Amino acid sequence: MSIFHSMNTTASALTAQRLRMDVVSSNMANADTTRAKFVNGEWEPYRRKSVVMQAKEGQFSSYLQTALDTNSSRGAGNGVKVSKIIEDESPFQLVYDPSHPDANEEGYVQMPNVDPLKEMVDLMSATRSYEANVTVFNASKNMLMKALEIGK
Amino acid sequence: MKPITITPAVSPNMLKTVQTAATPAEAQKSFSSFLKSSIEKVNQAQMESDKLTEKLALGQNVDLHQVMIASQKASVSLQLTLEIRNKAVEAYQEMMRMQV
Repeated sequence: MSIFHSMNTTASALTAQRLRMDVVSSNMANADTTRAKFVNGEWEPYRRKSVVMQAKEGQFSSYLQTALDTNSSRGAGNGVKVSKIIEDESPFQLVYDPSHPDANEEGYVQMPNVDPLKEMVDLMSATRSYEANVTVFNASKNMLMKALEIGK
Repeated sequence: MKPITITPAVSPNMLKTVQTAATPAEAQKSFSSFLKSSIEKVNQAQMESDKLTEKLALGQNVDLHQVMIASQKASVSLQLTLEIRNKAVEAYQEMMRMQV
């Protein structure tokens, strides 16, 4: 149904922002994790993850939808999706802590490359974006309800 | 002497369109089938909303906003149906009030 096109679009953004929030919470939770991956008989600390967002365009399904759609929403886009979750390849932090079980011979421990400050900014950005999309949804619904009042 | 050719005033094509123009009974039938399919769609939206609500209550993998959006869609569809029903009843009453 085409009257719900904008609702579907904004719903895709809500889903994407939820996933971003999940990734941020994973980063925050693992800010001190020194054993995330077992590589070549050695534990590697957690790597910061981040999402890659992509417009839902240029795929077969979106072309089919625009071809089938005879309404004016043609070309208005189909929303967003998270195409992949990538790992941050920046180097790990070295912290001097000889009592740590994962410390090397010199007493240094590799800590995750997660910066809580960056994560907080990302978290706020995701929250605000979610709010904005909820506002879009409500505006769209208000518009439809106003349309139902035509001729009353 | 030249033969007289008779050309029909109404071309066969026109006759066809006259025939395909809906009679009141046909128009009513197509309207009722349209109404039926529309109501079916509204019901589908309601059932979709119900399904998602149940999934959420059972703790399955659905997002809260998906549930809310489905319920809002169902609500808007139902409102639209109600408006159409009100209009139809209004039209019927208007007809019944007509002096014969």
